[in-house]
This record gives sequence, C-alpha cells and structure tokens, in this order.
Amino acid sequence: MAKHSRRDFLKTSALIGSATLGLSSTAKAAPENVLSEDRMGVLVDTTVCIGCRKCEWACKSAHDLPTASIETYDDRSVFSNVRRPDDKALTVVNEYQSITSDKLPINVKVQCMHCDHPACVSACIVGAFSKKENGSVVWDTDKCIGCRYCMVACPFQIPAFEFEKALKPDIKKCDFCINRTASGKIPACTEICPVEAITYGRREDLIRTAKEKIKNYPHRYINRIFGEYEVGGTSWLYLSSKEFEQLDFPKLGKDPAPGVSEAIQHGIFSYFVPPVALYALLGGIMWINKNKKHNETDTEN
Amino acid sequence: MKTKILLLIITLPLLLIAQNKIDPSHQNQALKCNMCHSCEIPTKEKLCLKPCPRDKMVTIEQTPGESPNVITIDHLRSQTDLYKPVKFSHRVHAEMSGFGSGCKMCHHYNPPGKVIGCSDCHEASRKRTDISKPDLKGAYHQQCMNCHRQWSGKVECESCHALNNSKQASVAVQEKAKQGNIVHPKIAAPEIVKYDTPKANGKIATFNHNDHTKTFGLDCENCHTDQSCNKCHAKNKQASLSSRTVADKHAVCDNCHNVKTNCSMCHSNSVKPGFSHVARTGFDILKNHSKLTCNRCHTTKAKFSGLKADCSLCHGTWTKENFKHAVTGLQLDEIHSDLDCTECHQEKNFAKPTCKNCHEDKVYPKDKPGKMIKK
Amino acid sequence: MENMKPTPQERKYFTPIVIGLSVLALNGIIFLLGRFVFGIGSVTNLDNQHPWGIWIGIDVAAGVALAAGGFTTAALGHIMHKDQYHAIIRPALLTATLGYTFVAASVMIDLGRYYFIWHPLLMWNGSSVLFEVGICVMIYLTVLYIEFLPIVTERFIGKVNLPGFLKKFNQPVDKFLRILDRGLEKTMFVFIIAGVVLSCLHQSSLGTLMVIAGPKMHPLWQTPILPLLFLLSAITVGLPMVIMESVITSKSFGLKPETHILSNLSNIVAPLLGVYLAFKIGDMMIRKTFVYLYEVNAASVMFTLELLIGIIIPLRLFMSRQVAKSPVAMATASFLVILGVLMNRINNFLIAYNPPYAVKSYFPSIGEISVTIGFVALEILLFRFFVINFPIVSEPDTTAPHTKFSLRGTTK
Repeated sequence: MAKHSRRDFLKTSALIGSATLGLSSTAKAAPENVLSEDRMGVLVDTTVCIGCRKCEWACKSAHDLPTASIETYDDRSVFSNVRRPDDKALTVVNEYQSITSDKLPINVKVQCMHCDHPACVSACIVGAFSKKENGSVVWDTDKCIGCRYCMVACPFQIPAFEFEKALKPDIKKCDFCINRTASGKIPACTEICPVEAITYGRREDLIRTAKEKIKNYPHRYINRIFGEYEVGGTSWLYLSSKEFEQLDFPKLGKDPAPGVSEAIQHGIFSYFVPPVALYALLGGIMWINKNKKHNETDTEN
Repeated sequence: MKTKILLLIITLPLLLIAQNKIDPSHQNQALKCNMCHSCEIPTKEKLCLKPCPRDKMVTIEQTPGESPNVITIDHLRSQTDLYKPVKFSHRVHAEMSGFGSGCKMCHHYNPPGKVIGCSDCHEASRKRTDISKPDLKGAYHQQCMNCHRQWSGKVECESCHALNNSKQASVAVQEKAKQGNIVHPKIAAPEIVKYDTPKANGKIATFNHNDHTKTFGLDCENCHTDQSCNKCHAKNKQASLSSRTVADKHAVCDNCHNVKTNCSMCHSNSVKPGFSHVARTGFDILKNHSKLTCNRCHTTKAKFSGLKADCSLCHGTWTKENFKHAVTGLQLDEIHSDLDCTECHQEKNFAKPTCKNCHEDKVYPKDKPGKMIKK
Repeated sequence: MENMKPTPQERKYFTPIVIGLSVLALNGIIFLLGRFVFGIGSVTNLDNQHPWGIWIGIDVAAGVALAAGGFTTAALGHIMHKDQYHAIIRPALLTATLGYTFVAASVMIDLGRYYFIWHPLLMWNGSSVLFEVGICVMIYLTVLYIEFLPIVTERFIGKVNLPGFLKKFNQPVDKFLRILDRGLEKTMFVFIIAGVVLSCLHQSSLGTLMVIAGPKMHPLWQTPILPLLFLLSAITVGLPMVIMESVITSKSFGLKPETHILSNLSNIVAPLLGVYLAFKIGDMMIRKTFVYLYEVNAASVMFTLELLIGIIIPLRLFMSRQVAKSPVAMATASFLVILGVLMNRINNFLIAYNPPYAVKSYFPSIGEISVTIGFVALEILLFRFFVINFPIVSEPDTTAPHTKFSLRGTTK
C-alpha cells in the first residue's frame, strides 16, 4: 500500500486536475518529490564535533537572521539546557555527557533531517513543502497558509512557526542552504565547520564513507548510521559513539513517516472510486425508498 | 579452458608490468599490498587506497631535534579570513609526542621517503568528490582539537589563532615556542606504587616502578602505550582514574605477567619488597651482572626458569690463560695463578672456592689466595 | 400522526441567559482581536512543540463531529425516507450549518496566514489528509448553505419587504427567490446525497489527520483504523446531538418535546454506540494496547473516562425503556455521548499528542478558552436568532395538511 504513494498521488491529482479544473499546480511540479540518485546529504560525525557552535553563527548569517558577533558563540554555558531549533535559529548544537566521564562530551548538531520521504511534504495542505532534486526539503512562502500541520507531522519536530507575528508568519526550518547550493556553494554550516565534523556530499558516498569509518574504528563508533533507514532514510546522517536515543534522537522505525496515512488516504480515494460508489449507493437507496413511499401513498389513495 | 588460458596469457604480462612499476620506495618495505590498496592491481590512475592505516605505515626516522621548530600553517589563507594563520610549534609537539605513540600521532600516514604533511594528502577545497578523508581545514583542526580540547576543554579559535584585525602576529604561546622556550617538564617517575584493592586476601597490590625501569630496563613507552595528553591533563583526573575497570587495571601487567595465575606476584597483605635476583634464584646478579638486561641471559622471552648456574653457558670455557682473575677483585698470588681453575672452583658457578685440595686448615673467605684489590 | 409544520418562533430575543451568552461572546471577540493584532503567540499557549491547541482540537475536530447531526438526519429522513423524522431535519440542519460555519471560522483564526485560506482551492496536494478535509469541509459547507436556502426562500417568498429606495426591487427579488426555490426543489437530492458522502469522507479523514504523527501519538489512540473510529463516533454522536438540541429548544421556547420522535431516535443510538464500542475495544485488543491502561497517567485516565462516560454508560442508558420515555433522561444520555465524543477529539488531538522535545505540557490559555467559549455562545445566539426568525422548529399544524414547503425537495 505504502509503495504507491507519490507516483499514485501525482497520477490521481493529475487525473482530478485535468478532469475538473483542467490544470493542477502539483501535477506541473512533477519532477520535484522524486528521489534523485545524486541527491546530496551531510554526514555528521558527533565524535569529531567540538561544539564550537560556529555552524549556528554561519547559519544565521546565511539566512539573514539576527545574530550576535561570532565571538559570543564561544559561550558554552548554553549547553546546560537542551535547545531546539526554532524560528530564530535553524540549527543548534547540544552537548551530552559521554558514557565514561574521562571521555569528551558529545556534541550533536540539530536541524531539519531532510527526509527522503518527508512527512511535511505529504502533509502540507497546499504542497508548500517539496523534496528537491538535490535532496533538500524546502518550504514555499508563496503557498503556505500557516496551518502548522507540518509541525504535527514531522517525526523530528523541526518546523518552527513565528507565533509572535500577526501578519505573514513563516514556517522556519533548515533549507539546506538552497540559495547557496544553487550558486555552487556548499551549505553555510558545512563550510564554516573547522573540524569538518559535518561533511557535505552525495548521500551514497556519505553512507559508504560512514560504513568505512565504522569498520575501521569499531571502538569509536556504534555500528549504526542514524538516518540511513530511519523513516525511510534522511539526507542528514549521523555517526555516534553512543546510542542515538540517548542523544535525544527520536526512536523511529524504518517505514516512511507518511506511509500509513498516505495508504489510508489513497485507499479512500483510489481514483475516487469509493466516494463515487458511495454516492451511487446512497442514490440507489434513496430512489428505492422514494418509490416504496410512492407506492404506499398510491395504494393508500 | 582455452579461454581461461588465453585470459591468463593476456593478464599475466599486465600483471607483471603492473608489478614492475611499483614505486621503488615500496619495494624496501615488507608490506602487503592489501594493507593499503583495496583492489588487486592498483594503478597510478586507480590507486584504490584504503583509509589511512594509522600505526601501520609510518616510516619517519627523524628525531624531534631534527624536525622544524615552527611551521606557519597558511595553506588555506584567503582574503576573507577572520583569523591569522597559526604558527605551529612543531618541535615542541614532536617532543611531546614521545609520551604517546610518536610522530604517527599526527603523521598517521607516511610512506617511505620524505616526511609528508597534511596538505600532501588532504584536499584544500571542501567541495570535493572524494569525501573519504577530511579536507585540509578539517584535517588540521581535527589533529589539533583532538588533544587540545581534551586537556584544556577549550575550543575558542583565539586559543590558537590571532584575530585578523589585531596587531599580534600570533598567539603569545606560539611566540614563546618560536624562541624554543617551551619544553614539556620532566615527568617524575615514582619508585614504588601502592594500590589499595578490595581483594580480601592480598589487599595491597605493590607495583615497583623502579624495578621495571631500572632493573628490568623497560622504556616508558613499553607500558605507557599510546598515551594521550588527557591522561595527565584531564580536567577531572580522579574521575578518569576511578572509571577504569578491574580489567583495565590488570591489562597493562598482563602484557608480561599472566595476571590470572599470579595474583600473589603483586597482591599481598603488606607492601612487597622489590625484585631481588638473589632472593628469588640464589644467583646474585648485582655482584657482577648488574649492568646486563634480563634478556642477555633469559633469551627465551618471558621465560625466566631453566637457566643453569653454569657460567660456561655464556662465557665459554675459562682457563687460567684466558681469565684474568683480577676482574673479580682478587689478585691471585703467584702460586695460585698457576693452578687450573678447577683446583679451587669445583662447582660450575664458580661460587664457593675450596681450599681442601691442598690445604687442610684453610677456609675461604677467611684465608685468601692472594690480595683483594679494588675492582 | 399529526402534521407538523416548521414555523418561526416569534419571541423576544433577549432573556437573561441570552445576555449572559452575549457577554461571553463579546469576551471571546476581544481576545480574537488580540490574536489578529499581536499574533497567535500572544493569545495562545501554543509553541513549536504544540502547534495545535483547543482551537483545532475542540473548535474544529469536535465541532465537525458534533455537527454530524446534519448528515445523519439527512440520511435518515431523506435517503432512508423516514418521514416521521422530517420535523427534526431542519433544526439539525441549522445546527450543522452553524456548526460548520464556526468550524470554518475557527480554522481561519487558527491559520497563521488566514487571508490565504483560499489557497487549497488552487494549490492541491492529493497526499495531504488536511487538504482532503479542507476541500470536503469547504464543499460540504456550501452544500449545507444550499440545503438551507429553501428555508430562506420559504421565509421570504411573498414577504419581501426591502426598506427605503430598495422597495422597487421587491418584485424582482421575490421572483428570483421563486425561481431559486423551484430549481432547488428539483436538484436538492443531488446535494443531500453529496452532503452525506462528503460528511463520511471528511469525518473519517479527520481521524486520518493524526495518523501521520506516528509515534508522537499515544498508542492508545494511534491506530490505522482511526478514520473508521472517527466516522463511527461521528455517526453515533449525530442523533444524540439532535435529541439534546431538540429537548433544550423545546424547553427554551416552552414547546412540548417531541418525545415520540426522540425515543424513536434514541432507539437507533444504542446499536450505533454498540458498534463503535466494539470497534474501539476490538482495536485495543488486536493491538494489545490495554497494557497502557495498567499505568496511571493522563492518557490512561482519559481513555478510560472516554470509554466509560462516553460509550458504556450512555449505551446502558439508551438500552433502557425508561430512558426512552423521558425527554430529560434521553437528553442526559445524549449529553454523555456528546461529552464522550468531545473527550475523544480532545484526547486524539491534544492528550495523545506527545511532542518529543516538549519541556512543558500544553494547557490552553485564558485567551484560547475565551475564544472557544465565545464561539459556542455565538453559535447558540445565532441558533436562537434563526429559530425565532425562520421556519425551523416544527409545530403541530392546524391549517393546511400539506404545505408546499414542509417537505423539502425530496417528496416530489
């Protein structure tokens, strides 16, 4: 059931589109939301990250968000609380204690994972989210109506909403620096990282590299790449020395997040057969009952 | 079958050519190809190198003294830099690496030939196709930060880089290193270490550090393998020590001693005295053999029994012609120097000379067959 | 059986209760202004962990469910052709129309960019459950207005009396209304069936809405048959809603309660409740989620209460013959069913939703509660207004046995 998700949806919407309105914006945008083999990703090696938070600064600078000077990011007291990305910071770094206290703390950068089968893309009422060819999941301000269903749907609880804005509040989340990558640059955070704890590259290459790292340093890493299979795979991948669930990663299965709901949705709406059938059925019942009534009144008269 | 032979005929010369083209420096090494290459026949175009085989492929025969003192790391210099390049105090770090695993701590891949630096392998551009190894900026920082954040916990850029708009050329500590003023202080070695253990029988485990370094002649790195700076420079040293498991603590000893069967070697209810060859074996090595390492006599590794107290095993046959008795501190008088060794030394260890062969009333060492001299 | 005819209940509009409701409505509107001037965050307790609050959980989700009376009575009266129920179709239709109007309004105020509420009409996302719900509700609302139109035409045909200079339009407007009325009469069955189909679709899809939240939702509620449970509960709650509303209306306007019709209705409720209960328990057994009931927390308590108060107790009540005889008892049992469905919707959208990184749990702010209560008050006020001014509530007809407008659209 889950298999015929996007393709089917496109077919269906194209069908509906041509049948009723004659055109449909989703049908036109067909090349989007199809996974490219060359889609990019980022490998985050939490054993390399030093928690310098330069990525936070670079992200804000690249997205024109207000930020203090770069030196202020040396402040490590922020690590006392677990922080989450929000409308003012699209990525944050958190710190966790290592298993043995003599080892270094583990720093984990958090941002949108850019799922291969994003729940937000599936959920968005107006299709404001889309999975681009380069792997990024981006949000379209021209479509969004601010319903916040993406926030309900996201398994990583990433999209943030500008609750304080009365007019044109935005959904804010990491956009994989779509503007930078379009002009041949790499995402701001991956560029500034001094230790290259976040490596930008083809997702396939990243997985291969990550597997090699695990093989070569079995004591350094646990044998798992977070994001390789989680919710059907994500563009951002993580390596760690500690189980990911202890680093506040959500516990997720391998099935794409929108799988079940899309299956139900397409079950109810498979080419509009069930609704039309129900309509016909009800019409039939109504007609029969009417005739019955008619006959009754006829005989009474 | 024919095709197979044909294939073999075609591939064999190729193989041979490929074999012949091996870099001459490779041939000096007793290396297996698959240690570095993942494919059968590496070519210049397709090297198919595995990720760096740290520890396995390092051939630097340079002492810290021969290495460059200060290296300015400016391979990545650009106009928009926020910071000035680092003046890296190479020699100080090279010296310090001696506490750990040496040059390979940083030069983790160095084929025979010249000493190669980070920029020889690591690409300068972060946007690249081969992401199996970090880019140059990442490589530099990973190398430094791995230790630096361990012992200082600091990750601020300014601890290594001077800000670009400041007058300072580099961070103060780097200037000091340039003048050669920074050296790691000597590490004081303990003579004896006493551990209180929870073991019921044998509460005290004695480790005689002096014995191992002086008597057994072990080098520091024989036991202190792969030490990180963190071992001493950790923020919370006590915590790091207490976090070691029982197995961790025994592992070092287990390299030479079988800890499973030899509890009493270290564990006792009181502090054990140091190692004494004479007490253990009856052979006083301190007398004449104090300068020898154990393995001069105990040639079979880790096997210390089975040596007979038979000097001829090492020294060959001594005769009155080839042995100058004076080395023992006793100058034989004329009469005795003409005698065969066996006249007095009837045992093969030459330990207790007897006078009974000629003199009924004389006893060694009360009576001496000559005069004592200073050795 | 005596003939019933819907007639406007000409009464004084303002009573002490009405004034009280007006104050509540006004209070809600004031907070609503705050939301439009200072943003959603200033009035609500919503944050990035809790994107949806009671405006969605109660106003929209429960609102849609409780307006299900419209389509259940339409199905019963028009499609199943049970003429005896025609007396209750109009009040149910009014409830549904008002209900859905306020659902739309609630969606609108909850939308960050409410002025883009029309976007789903042009920007389609077929895989989105919310899109389906949105489109269905939009169409259904239109259908409801169309179904309501005959009441308007009936009220005004022959009585068009425009003020001032508009007087000259009296004639054309009257003519237009008559044409409209005739047209509607012939085509109404299309809309009635469409209304039922659309209701079935979006009532169930409202359940699918939370399926995508996956592990963020408590396993007691997170089930693939959530849409079925939503549909069943909506069908179940439709008639109790009608019973409740009928009893209260009779009381409020001093009319004789339609005990006969209502007890007939209440006889249908019990089997519906039974089916709903069977599916709910069956789902719990199959997925073995009853293990979560052993631990005491908000989820397990709310689930038990929902099951007990909302289904089991009213099921017992509706099965009793005594209850079917007394309008007050029926209203009480109906109230429990309504409360149960209300709780179910709140549970599904708020209690069961456990955001993974929440530092504090969500509780609605005074602003949110005020707006929700204000909307309910406004709805009741409007209901009263329509009952007073339009032919909604049926009274025993002493004049003509069969008026043209008594049975709308289906009896030709």
